[in-house]
Amino acid sequence: MIKLKLNGVSKAYGATKALSHADLEIEAGEVHVLLGSNGSGKSTLSKIVAGSVRPDAGEILLDGKPVTITGPQSARSHGIAIFYQELSLAAHRTVAENISLASLPSRAGIFVDGDALEERAQRYMALFDGVTGDGFSLDAVIEDLRADQRQLVEIIKALAIEASVIIFDEATSALDRAQVERFFEILRALKQKGRSIIFISHRMDEIFAIGDRATVIRDGQIVGTKRIADTSPSEIITMMVGGHDETDAKAVEHHAPTGAAALALSVKNLGGRGFGDVSFDVRKGEILGFGGLHGQGQSAVLKALFGAAPPTSGSVELDGKPLNPANPRAMIRQGVAYVSGDRAREGVVTGRPILENVMPIHYLRDRMILAHPPASARKALPALQALRTKFAGLGFPISSLSGGNQQKVVIARWLIDRPAVLLLDDPTKGIDLSAKADLFALIRKLAEEGMGIVLYASEDAELLDNADRILVFNGGAVRRELTGTARTRYNLYQAAYEAA
Amino acid sequence: MSDAATPSHSPAAAARIVEFAKQPLVVALILVAALLYLGETLSPGFASGQQIMRLLIVAALLGIVAAGQNLVVLGGREGIDLSVGGVVSLSAIVAGNLMAGENAGIPLAIVACIATGALFGLFNGIGVTLLRIPPLVMTLGMLGVLQGLLVVIRQGIPSGRAAPGLADFVSQPFLFGVPGILWLWVVIGLLMAFLLGRTVFGHRIYAIGSNEQAAYMAGVPVKAARIALFVLSGVFAAIAGICLLGYSGSSFANVGEQYMLPSIIAVVFGGTPLSGGKGGYTGTMAGALLLVILQSILVTINIDESGRQMVFGITLLVLMLFYGRGRSMRA
Repeated sequence: MIKLKLNGVSKAYGATKALSHADLEIEAGEVHVLLGSNGSGKSTLSKIVAGSVRPDAGEILLDGKPVTITGPQSARSHGIAIFYQELSLAAHRTVAENISLASLPSRAGIFVDGDALEERAQRYMALFDGVTGDGFSLDAVIEDLRADQRQLVEIIKALAIEASVIIFDEATSALDRAQVERFFEILRALKQKGRSIIFISHRMDEIFAIGDRATVIRDGQIVGTKRIADTSPSEIITMMVGGHDETDAKAVEHHAPTGAAALALSVKNLGGRGFGDVSFDVRKGEILGFGGLHGQGQSAVLKALFGAAPPTSGSVELDGKPLNPANPRAMIRQGVAYVSGDRAREGVVTGRPILENVMPIHYLRDRMILAHPPASARKALPALQALRTKFAGLGFPISSLSGGNQQKVVIARWLIDRPAVLLLDDPTKGIDLSAKADLFALIRKLAEEGMGIVLYASEDAELLDNADRILVFNGGAVRRELTGTARTRYNLYQAAYEAA
Repeated sequence: MSDAATPSHSPAAAARIVEFAKQPLVVALILVAALLYLGETLSPGFASGQQIMRLLIVAALLGIVAAGQNLVVLGGREGIDLSVGGVVSLSAIVAGNLMAGENAGIPLAIVACIATGALFGLFNGIGVTLLRIPPLVMTLGMLGVLQGLLVVIRQGIPSGRAAPGLADFVSQPFLFGVPGILWLWVVIGLLMAFLLGRTVFGHRIYAIGSNEQAAYMAGVPVKAARIALFVLSGVFAAIAGICLLGYSGSSFANVGEQYMLPSIIAVVFGGTPLSGGKGGYTGTMAGALLLVILQSILVTINIDESGRQMVFGITLLVLMLFYGRGRSMRA
């Protein structure tokens, strides 16, 4: 019996088609897995079902009847619940309160019914008895809990809605083995009751352990649906890659310097928030790629190396000298550069002139006190020209530029005094194609001049085209290294979905 | 989307005038002229040369306090210094007691006052940055401390007197018939323009005020810079306190209280939004002048102190409607 059906559902953000004409059927009593690479549209699809995104076109049928889901509350009233990856908990409130946040039991509709609240929380928490770990209780405050325990609260919160369709988007990322096993037992019990589960995970082993059917999405289109029992991980990855571009990596021309080249950066057993035990070397003249699905620790490692979120363990060497990434200021002085993909928040100084956006790094590295605009302009212009930045004048506000040119201004900062290592944290997010081309041409040139470069790109093609070596991240750790001709889309996806 | 930032086509002359007239500084200057005219109409002699000179002296006192306020507000993150009035009072008392009517005491008084102002600014800065107390709360608390301190200091100790040299500096012609305090104000104006426009520190103030996270990622020492802003605010308030002593002859408790609200209004009127990151001191100078004239008109038409406070409060709220909403205030 088909519980939920999507007919030709589409959603576009500006010119980007996040989802086009998606047809999907979810049966009652099944665990339906959604798979796809970064930006394939699986998040958009689950958000549409959960009501937090309104589709541009198409219809949604629940039990065969068309429904309009106007928002999360409306989704809930239709019996649809979603597990949010994080941050939907009230940090200062107790576990019991958080579990019932969506529908606090009340007396006379005004006073919170404390007894009912506890009774209900107790009932759901019992599901995870024995695997929750120390300090997990009804009256524990969320901010005192460990990451895995918070995730259990999120799961319990989704379960407590008693919805007939539940979406779990990366619900197991922080859980340990025993917790995952228990969670799967709960899911199986829900299946018995005829509930439908939409399950998103980046662990192939989990997908094969719990899934009944899997639907692959690529570039906003549904590629196909397979019974898990009739398929294999490699078939699924081939579907995600799309048959035609198996060898699309320009991998063959191998720029990377030989093993003889000196190390620019050496990282050993680095650990911090969101990653652990990460080790790698970057040679001078090399572009090292970070790959994998979103949020697997790639950005966290780069931010840690730049001192913006200092690491808690491990050691870093720059040019053979030990380095302590305490804060960005210290790192900039040592010759480490970082470009964030989050331009609006971490890149541009909004409302200030282009010149002031180019100069801060030079002011810092040269320990300057006075800012003499003509002298600054003489430094800034060549840096901006190296990236073919288009601008009307250095005195114009940076907000007068397009996104791509704004990002070029931010990168130009680092070109006045050349750093030894350049960390690029998804630098092309939301910039146009020609700007991307200019950017990657420059990065290659910088590498050839001897800079060590680390590139995290959420777009796989950028990584395959530009990185000499790729480290694939999963769950905050490096799972595989792809070199030479092994740098293919297939290998990238396979490693990204590999068991943690 | 166009890649190049094309300069907009030159607008018609009329539109350009409207655009020009919309600038906060221009608005302020037009209002200054209008208020002077209004004052002259209400009370002939209001806009006489001597009277204008007196207004300028009072405006300079406010303008010097507002310089520090302006810096703190520019630094963003809801930067505001409510303790300036307390520092002005304390500085006036310290200066009065140290110089005790003698010119010889002036240098020591200046050094001691500036050190005192810097110290309280440092406390504010440390509280706001390292202890993460919101500026509003931190500086309001500091104001309370200063008010208590003023009461303690004045017990048993005679109120000090201004040295004649200081009094002359503030109210008598000093150079080209203009009192010294106005020259001081001009110098402070030039220094502020230089600091904000031509120093790395100035650029960093704007960077912190407009996007603190981006500034941090570009190596700006955010906390140190913000502490420096509060220290400067304390120093400017202390300088104003010394000048105020010269203006009034002797110090009395809470003489500086009247500066808290007007210093904020002058900043906002001058085109620096309370969210920070843009604006400058030139506008603030015009704002200070404007407020002083407004105050004088209110006195002329016999509105008492409480009435004037209400007018000021309402002025600030009205200003917020026009200028304060450019950017929503977020932490």
